[in-house]
Amino acid sequence: MTEATPSLDFAPSGAGQQPKMAARGVNVFYGGNQAIRDVSIEIDMDKVTAFIGPSGCGKSTFLRTLNRMNDTIPSARVEGEIMLDGEDIYSPAMDVVQLRARVGMVFQKPNPFPKSIYENVAYGPRIHGLASSKSSMDAIVERSLKRAGLWDEVKDRLQDSGTALSGGQQQRLCIARAIAVDPEVILMDEPCSALDPIATAKIEELIHDLHGKYAIVIVTHNMQQAARVSHRTAFFHLGQLIEYGVTDEIFTAPRVERTKDYITGRYG
Amino acid sequence: MNSARTPTDWNAPAMRRRIRKRYSAERRFKAFGLAAVVLSAAFLAFLLVTMAWNGARGFTRAEVALPIDFKALALAVDRASLSTPGADLALSGAELENAVKGAAVTAFGPGGDALISGHGWIKVRDAVKADPSLLDREAVIQVPASTKVDQGEDAAGVARLNGAGALSRHFNSDFLSQSNSTDPMAAGIWGALKGSLMTMLVTFLIAFPVGLFSAVYLEEYAPRNRWTDLIEVSINNLAAVPSIIFGLLGLAVFLGSWELWGHSFGPLMPRSAALVGGLTLALMIMPVIVIASRNAIKAVPPSIRDAAFAVGASRVQVVFHHVIPLAMPGILTGTIIGMARALGETAPLLLIGMRAFIVTPPGSFTDPATVLPVQIFLWSDEVSRGFIEKTSAAIIVLLAFLLAMNGLAIYLRNRFETRW
Repeated sequence: MTEATPSLDFAPSGAGQQPKMAARGVNVFYGGNQAIRDVSIEIDMDKVTAFIGPSGCGKSTFLRTLNRMNDTIPSARVEGEIMLDGEDIYSPAMDVVQLRARVGMVFQKPNPFPKSIYENVAYGPRIHGLASSKSSMDAIVERSLKRAGLWDEVKDRLQDSGTALSGGQQQRLCIARAIAVDPEVILMDEPCSALDPIATAKIEELIHDLHGKYAIVIVTHNMQQAARVSHRTAFFHLGQLIEYGVTDEIFTAPRVERTKDYITGRYG
Repeated sequence: MNSARTPTDWNAPAMRRRIRKRYSAERRFKAFGLAAVVLSAAFLAFLLVTMAWNGARGFTRAEVALPIDFKALALAVDRASLSTPGADLALSGAELENAVKGAAVTAFGPGGDALISGHGWIKVRDAVKADPSLLDREAVIQVPASTKVDQGEDAAGVARLNGAGALSRHFNSDFLSQSNSTDPMAAGIWGALKGSLMTMLVTFLIAFPVGLFSAVYLEEYAPRNRWTDLIEVSINNLAAVPSIIFGLLGLAVFLGSWELWGHSFGPLMPRSAALVGGLTLALMIMPVIVIASRNAIKAVPPSIRDAAFAVGASRVQVVFHHVIPLAMPGILTGTIIGMARALGETAPLLLIGMRAFIVTPPGSFTDPATVLPVQIFLWSDEVSRGFIEKTSAAIIVLLAFLLAMNGLAIYLRNRFETRW
């Protein structure tokens, strides 16, 4: 039995507004294995989009194609079209370094640089030349840490090592680091999977605060989390996008049988 | 089906025996480990004590207080030239050597000239150069004794000198400031030490950057395919090639002459020079540095690379800002091992002519030079007994050099160490 094309019949945000990112007919291969099959999706600027699905369904792989992090894996190959503001990010004209500054990423395991808290946040702005002076760099660091909700906890010890923070603080430091280069989209790859419930709650609160300033895409294993933080949810299975829609509808009235089976816990 | 289980009897004799065996195996293993450590420490202590014992005398020498009446000699010396660079020539032209021998005969009787070193007159020359007013009066100048007196082989001579109250033993500053000589009383290590320093400098300047960048390219840039596998296997094999083969390679490449397309190329570089030695040793230790650096780079967590890529760092920025600094301790460890090996290497240098008899320390990288281990090898082959002590003393200098070099590297490594 073939699945219906993913339902995309929710009202577009703002009449005629172009989506922040759009993927059309994307296939991803690792060597001979096809990890993503013909995925088309649109990501809106002022929404939080969640990717859910069982392990190995390709949601993280697809997330990594959105800022070309898969380029670092030699065997990975991407087909199809991914647009950022109407520009194809895989076209030769696209500079991958600028792309990753515009589409930031937060990883599953907190990965601060083994440098000071200040240096962690200042690194991105420094390599892109975003700060003209010490004081403007200080301002960027302060603003980024404040947005990431970490400023009050670390303002007195900015020169301490970033790796000395707790897991949840490290993850917020990584978010501050991503924010510091002033991205348009932030990709989060299971950002809470290594954190305790209290740190998780803080990150979720932070995602809520950040939405609207950045388009946020979050991959999560935790369906409650997707339901809590996201406006749109995409369900992936075996490399295919099964269903994509408004989060409330996906969780209360899924159209596709497989989505229903997954969110009711029939498999996972 | 009987599912009732009999409780384990932990006090059964077989069980107790097994436990006792386990404990004794543990004790036995610990004892073996301790014995191995003690044995190796004992060997090391034996080596160091022997060297220190033999070498300590190598740093001193017997000296004779030689009275010379310059006024009576009335040497024909142009006083004005003593303050010019031509002073050595002016004094040697004055037959000072014979005058010094004559003074020894006068002071210690017939055969007295055999009691002082053949190089003794150089001390007199230096004294005159330092103070030309000596030429107008009598003076007592310390000159080195002959090897036979120094070694106590000439008992009659020693007695005669002691009778005159002229014999004493002093720290031999010539040993650290002069170069090789046929006379152990005048031989010094400075030429070889300087040669070693220059050779190590060339080795480091070539092997470290080339090794490091090879490792970076292979780890961070090179695609994984048959060619890189082949290169990897070749590098691993090169690290195990006997060092003398590298000597032959250096001889063929740097000092050989070949014909290409009808043109003949002479030797690319001068023989016996620190430059050639350094290049040859660099070829030898490069594989060691590449292997150690690759392992250190591999050990940098991929999450750090991801983090840097994700904020928009280019590959070069990722490598230079994050990967190399984090891998630096491991890279330096490999470099220490390689440099220590290069410092102690003799065989490849013999082939490229660094076993020459060098009496003047090398002034540049292309001057003929020798290195400490080759100097030790050459001295250990000498017949004169005086060289036995010199050999041990030279080994002490080599070990001190090695310790200083490693100490510097360990200091640098600790500075680069990142606390996670």
